[in-house]
Amino acid sequence: MDEHVLLVEDDPSIREVASLGLEQAGFRVTASGDGRDALVRFRQGPFDLVVLDVMLPSLDGLEVCREIRRESRTPIVMLSARSELHDVVVGLELGADDYVTKPFELPELVARIKAVLRRSTPGPADGAISVAGLEIDPAAFSVRKGGEDVALTATEFRLLLELARRPRQVFTRELLLELVWNYDYLGDSRLVDVAVQRLRGKIEDDPAQPKLIQTVRGVGYRFGQG
Amino acid sequence: MPLRRRLTIAFMLAVGVSAAALALGSYFVVRHNLMSDSVASSERQARRNLAIAPTYLRLGTGQLLAAYERGGAGFLTVGMRQGRPFSSRFMGIRQVPAGLRRLVDRGELGYERTDVAGIHYLVVGGRVGGDTQLYFFFSEQGLRHDLALLRNILAGGVGILVLLAGFAGALLARQTLRPVGRASDAARSLAEGLLETRLPVEGRDEFGSWAQSFNEMAAALETKIADLSAAQARERRFTADVAHELRTPLTALVGEASLLAEHLGSMPPESRRPAELLVADVGRLRRLVEDLMEISRFDAGQESVHAESVELGALTEATIRARGLDESVQLQTEDVELTSDPRRLERIIANLVGNAVEHGGNEVAVRVGLEGGPFVEVADRGPGIPREHLPHLFERFYKADAARSGGGTGLGLAIAQENARLLGGRIEVWSEPGEGTRFTLRL
Repeated sequence: MDEHVLLVEDDPSIREVASLGLEQAGFRVTASGDGRDALVRFRQGPFDLVVLDVMLPSLDGLEVCREIRRESRTPIVMLSARSELHDVVVGLELGADDYVTKPFELPELVARIKAVLRRSTPGPADGAISVAGLEIDPAAFSVRKGGEDVALTATEFRLLLELARRPRQVFTRELLLELVWNYDYLGDSRLVDVAVQRLRGKIEDDPAQPKLIQTVRGVGYRFGQG
Repeated sequence: MPLRRRLTIAFMLAVGVSAAALALGSYFVVRHNLMSDSVASSERQARRNLAIAPTYLRLGTGQLLAAYERGGAGFLTVGMRQGRPFSSRFMGIRQVPAGLRRLVDRGELGYERTDVAGIHYLVVGGRVGGDTQLYFFFSEQGLRHDLALLRNILAGGVGILVLLAGFAGALLARQTLRPVGRASDAARSLAEGLLETRLPVEGRDEFGSWAQSFNEMAAALETKIADLSAAQARERRFTADVAHELRTPLTALVGEASLLAEHLGSMPPESRRPAELLVADVGRLRRLVEDLMEISRFDAGQESVHAESVELGALTEATIRARGLDESVQLQTEDVELTSDPRRLERIIANLVGNAVEHGGNEVAVRVGLEGGPFVEVADRGPGIPREHLPHLFERFYKADAARSGGGTGLGLAIAQENARLLGGRIEVWSEPGEGTRFTLRL
């Protein structure tokens, strides 16, 4: 596969062992221990994915996440301690695709990275669909609304695709976690809620009164036409 | 009876009794004096009457009575002359008391009180010559009236005094007992945890010094508790700090161990076993640190609940399957839907089932039901837990015995209980040595 991963982690031991693990899993790794340095390297890219620690010297992970999202939709996986989970929610709101809590085993990290990368790769069954004024083309990873391009991250795109492919079907959060994030077991339902919020912000006329992605109270979400 | 009422009544009694004694005493003194005066003046008048009697008697009894009336006398006269009675209006010899008549027959001057037609009279009698007795009826109606008036005034006075004493006593009792009431309020608020409660120190009496002692006690208590909670907070912060500081090297260790684990097969035999042990021990260390971090988050009150709709049976089943425990567990569920935090529920159930499988072998029964609220019951047929350990089971690092310490961190049940509490529930335990152990999560 030889995908290029930018690993941003300030602790040298964790950085080294994570690099080793990712390399052994077949990734090409560029490592950085500092927020500013990471941004510089990112711009020299290109990278297929960024693994980003929340706590970083000089520029913290959330700022780096914000900067990267400003210029690119490269998938981002956050690393965080369980006690920094509120930071993770902020990271998700800024457009991170998933997170892994410390301490983590390398297979866990690799599995998360692969799941996120899969979202950015079109599946065999992904044909272009046109629904409710949206043109969704999985092959080109493009969404057009009223003829204009909407920039979505891989996660947002996959979420929209899953929902829009079966309009009016109700999706539970668990099902979406499975379909979009590839969790085969209890994931964090906030991943879904935050991604839905972001997606609404990009495709709804009025995100406060969503028409396309509707909340089904106590159950989950569905794609509504109109 | 409240002390206040008792004090008031005692005060009223004291005042009432002394006032009544005083009033009775004065009444009887006054009465005695008035009566004696009445007797003295009546006697004087009677002597005068007797002195002039012989002169008029010679003219006849009618003349005597007329002379008395002319004198404008305030008395009525009854007489007996040679066995024949004579008298002024309204009165007759029958009204003269017999005792007095006997006295007068013997020639003495005597008196006696008697009532005639509801009017009080003082009768004074004497003999004139050998054959005539004279009796003079002096009305004491005025005197009696005055005495009755005096009696009423005194009784009224006593009554008013007792009432006043009641008011004064109540006031005094309240005044006296106010520090007691305040002290009991203060003690109550101290017990409710308002450690800054103090009593006002008023005056130099017993209550004043008592209030001072109370305040000293409260201050000592406050300091002590502040010290204790500061120490506890320090200790907990230290635990949190330690766990936090351990996290970074631990993350590296866990990563390294997981990498090492993938290559165990290609290692030479002499390094393979130590590497296996290393991987296992890193796993143990990770669990311990994660538990410590979790419990210190509970202590810091940093844990929050993400409630959503949960199907308890399905969640329990998924939890057991995900841990690969479904081989050893008999699951029996009914439809139980509730709003709760699924991740915390999962944590609790995984802990209880994990413990049961570890100690109870392959005979673990898990039941999800609704009687008495939603519950998950995890029962094993293990050796059971001796009764004396049961109350401490949820304490941190409590080891019931070496056999039960197993591979756990010693924090599992404490965390499970904290999680249950956070979800508004609790975990109950039942155990009988030789029969098994049953943990029930009630929500």
